[in-house]
Amino acid sequence: MSTVDDLPDDKKLELLQGTLEVLILRCLKLQPNHAYGISQFLQQESDSEFLVDNGSLYPAIQRLLQRKWIQGQWKISPNGRRARYYSLTGGGRKELLRATSKWQRFAVAMAKILAPEG
Amino acid sequence: MGTWRSKIGNALGRRRSLASELEEEMDSHLQFLIDENLEQGMTPDQARNAALREFGNTTSVRERSYESWQFPKFESLLQDLHYALRGIVRKPAFSLIVILTLAVGIGANTAIFSTVYAVLLKPLPFPSGERLVWLGESNAKATGISVTWINFEHWQGENRSFEGMAGFQNVDLTLTGRGQAALTHAGLVTNLFFQLTGSRPMLGRLFTAHDDEPQSPATVVVTERFWARTLSSDPEIVGKTITLNGSAHEVVGVLARDPGFFLRPVDYYLPLRPTAAQSAKRDAHGSMRALALLKPSVTLAQARSDLNTILKRLAKSDPGPEDDHRAYAEFLVNERTEGLARIFAMLMGSVCLVLILACANFASLLLIRMTTRAREMAIRTAIGAGRARLVGQLVTETLFITFIGGAVGVMLSFIGLRLLVELGPRGIPRLFEASLNLPVLVFAAVLTLAVGLFCALAPAFSARNLSLSILLKESSTGSGSNRVGHAIRGGLVVSEIAMAVVLLFTSGILLRSLWIAETVNPGFDSGRLLALELQLPSGRYKSDAAILDFYNRLEAGLRAQPGVESVGAVNCPPAAGDCGDWWYSVVEKPAPARDDVPLTLLNMADPKYFHTMRIPLMAGRTPSGDDRAGSPPVAVINEELAKAWWKDARSALGQHIKLGGPYMKGPVLEIVGVAANVPQMGLDNAPLPEIYFPASQRVSSSMVVAIRTQGSPWALAGTVAKTLASLDSDVPIQSLKPFDDWLGATLKQRRFIALLLAIFAGIAVLLAATGCYGVLNYWVSSRKQEIAIRMAMGAGTIAIIRRTGKQAAKLGVLGLAIGFAGSLFASRWVSSMVFGITAHDPVVLCLAAFCALLMVLSAAAVPIWRATRISPIETLHEA
Repeated sequence: MSTVDDLPDDKKLELLQGTLEVLILRCLKLQPNHAYGISQFLQQESDSEFLVDNGSLYPAIQRLLQRKWIQGQWKISPNGRRARYYSLTGGGRKELLRATSKWQRFAVAMAKILAPEG
Repeated sequence: MGTWRSKIGNALGRRRSLASELEEEMDSHLQFLIDENLEQGMTPDQARNAALREFGNTTSVRERSYESWQFPKFESLLQDLHYALRGIVRKPAFSLIVILTLAVGIGANTAIFSTVYAVLLKPLPFPSGERLVWLGESNAKATGISVTWINFEHWQGENRSFEGMAGFQNVDLTLTGRGQAALTHAGLVTNLFFQLTGSRPMLGRLFTAHDDEPQSPATVVVTERFWARTLSSDPEIVGKTITLNGSAHEVVGVLARDPGFFLRPVDYYLPLRPTAAQSAKRDAHGSMRALALLKPSVTLAQARSDLNTILKRLAKSDPGPEDDHRAYAEFLVNERTEGLARIFAMLMGSVCLVLILACANFASLLLIRMTTRAREMAIRTAIGAGRARLVGQLVTETLFITFIGGAVGVMLSFIGLRLLVELGPRGIPRLFEASLNLPVLVFAAVLTLAVGLFCALAPAFSARNLSLSILLKESSTGSGSNRVGHAIRGGLVVSEIAMAVVLLFTSGILLRSLWIAETVNPGFDSGRLLALELQLPSGRYKSDAAILDFYNRLEAGLRAQPGVESVGAVNCPPAAGDCGDWWYSVVEKPAPARDDVPLTLLNMADPKYFHTMRIPLMAGRTPSGDDRAGSPPVAVINEELAKAWWKDARSALGQHIKLGGPYMKGPVLEIVGVAANVPQMGLDNAPLPEIYFPASQRVSSSMVVAIRTQGSPWALAGTVAKTLASLDSDVPIQSLKPFDDWLGATLKQRRFIALLLAIFAGIAVLLAATGCYGVLNYWVSSRKQEIAIRMAMGAGTIAIIRRTGKQAAKLGVLGLAIGFAGSLFASRWVSSMVFGITAHDPVVLCLAAFCALLMVLSAAAVPIWRATRISPIETLHEA
């Protein structure tokens, strides 16, 4: 099934399971955006550290839609292209809060353990 | 939850719009990328290619998005089912044959199993029915003898094994005072009976210990049915009386639900009370048996020895002629179904064979289909279908069609079951309760699943061995279709022929037995003979003289009617069974040992009986008008009894029978005649020794009046009933029917079973024939080229027939041989039902083999004919 295109780029970070959804929610908190915009945002904000493969991005968007955390709407972009814009729902906002605090605790705990002894 | 709902929504129909939306979105994404690239100064072509590269694998994006909308396992199942349905519809002939084959197999099994469940497996409808025990007495000669009152009382009072015990017996009484006199059926029971059978009153009360006492007033508890039909649902019935055999009985209660304990339904229950003789003498037998509830911790063997200890103690304190009697105890469930288990095992075994045949046919059809589909499978494998997915699809297809077959089978069994219950003999307890209830449906479902999995297995296994490269190169119907497949198909044909032989043989044995029983010489002329069964109400006909007078007047009245040739009466007509038997010895012969005293059937006949029945007299005379109460006691014996003691019938005359044997009191009778045997126990039973008393010397109130008519016996039925009514309208008619019906009824169970087995054998032959045909036909198809080449090389029709025929003959002979062995094995199972021939009758065996041979020949004929019709030019051209 896997093809050469799908092979992860060693230089970039592979996203942990479940993180992509949170990042999408975070991105949409700022403003409604389309898939291309989301991928651009993630790449820029992570200083190109994260590899965002469309094969993961699209299914993640679908999962968020199914959970009713985001909603999609066709709009015309500033440069005149028709695109599907996603925005957070009330449920999505709550989920983002929950997930953010969870990830922060996770990061702090990881940092504590991995910090060099001194 | 929300996810599930949206997934289900997706599966149900939003899929298409979601997919097109995704396409559009991906398009717009691509446009953004292209725009960006164009801005960087690429040519449109370059921009597009770079964008595509950057976007990544669109198929993977699409597929993984799709996956998030669906249940992948479920989806592929749906797809398999879709394929399966398409396969079924596309090959209607194949599907129809398969569905019908399976439906017949599963339907027959379901129907038979539901009767097995109702008769043998279903718990008795009593609380703790599995602990209920049937009690009788036994001695060296017989088991299940009636229990005497005194023995019963001691058992009841002194046992340590039972929670409760109740006596029961049947009796028929005449109901008068409510319209036409009617014969009614009573259950005589002691008071614990209702508790043991879990019965409750709807009105009033049930019996108490007080009702059991001999001096208590006569009481009766009626069933709800009798209350509704005969007592017109009188809500005030408790306290009123009904007249039974001329004496008033007070109705004390109405049962809410009849326990259904008595095999012949009863109308009401009376307290069972001993006669004066029964409460005085320990060996005074009535026809009482006992029902008892075993304590949970006690085994049946312990209970038996407990009761035997009581009997041994009684033998010391109250010695008598029956000191050797022991207790007979058997669980009610087993007592009820004694002998039936074997019959039902036989039926179940034969339907099982039918199902195996159906399976074999189905499996061989699937195997054949697999080889023709090998190409399809190989192509699918080539374009990336996983092996698991392929096998899964094959199994789904097979299971799907099996379940359709199973469903049709259950419908068939519904019809079959109604016929079974309708045609089934009344003597099989609880047969009429058979229905398609939950356990039966579970059985059908499990059976269907098992059949489906089994049949799916064979082709699925061969699918696992599919080698892609070989199959793609090979022509789908070419000669290379594997040897293993041929061996399996050959094996299936052989076993089909063998099973058909076994079923043909067993049904043949039973049919021949039935035929012999039907045509057996009954020893009398049953044509144009009417039987009027009467029981005089004991209230009105108390004395012997009154009874004799009534029957004399009745016979005289009947003889005076036009169309009546002659009239005679007997207590126990042929095929009525055992109306009484007793020990006897011959005074002039050496006395038998105490344990060897022989038994004889007892019967009473009046002077005109033998003449009316045309029972030939071997020697001496029939009872005559001169044999009266005061005259020397005489007897007519049957040929069977005479044969046991004397070299010819004539030598028996003037010798004496001692009733009760040498060790018991009893009258001595002079033998005055020897009559030919009649099938007393039914047409399919060997004759037993029998003694006829003159009806005037041993008087019975219940007699069967035989009327020889000049025309059809039915035409005189009205006249007979009128003549009886003119004498005494309070005497109910127990039955009035031609003697042929009476005799035929004894064969009802035999006919029923033989018919069922014959049907199963017929189905088996049909299935086996189609199976043989299918495989041979395939054999010819797959060898078309080979045959064409042989023909082109100069082989004649004969040579082709010989070659094809050899294949058929090989399978046929092997099948027949195995079938023979199986038949000999199966004959043990039918041996109890064989009559007049041995269980491995060579004639039947040869006939079965001949039928099977015919079947193989007719199944092989068409394929062989096809083989000779092959046109070498066309075939080789095709190749």
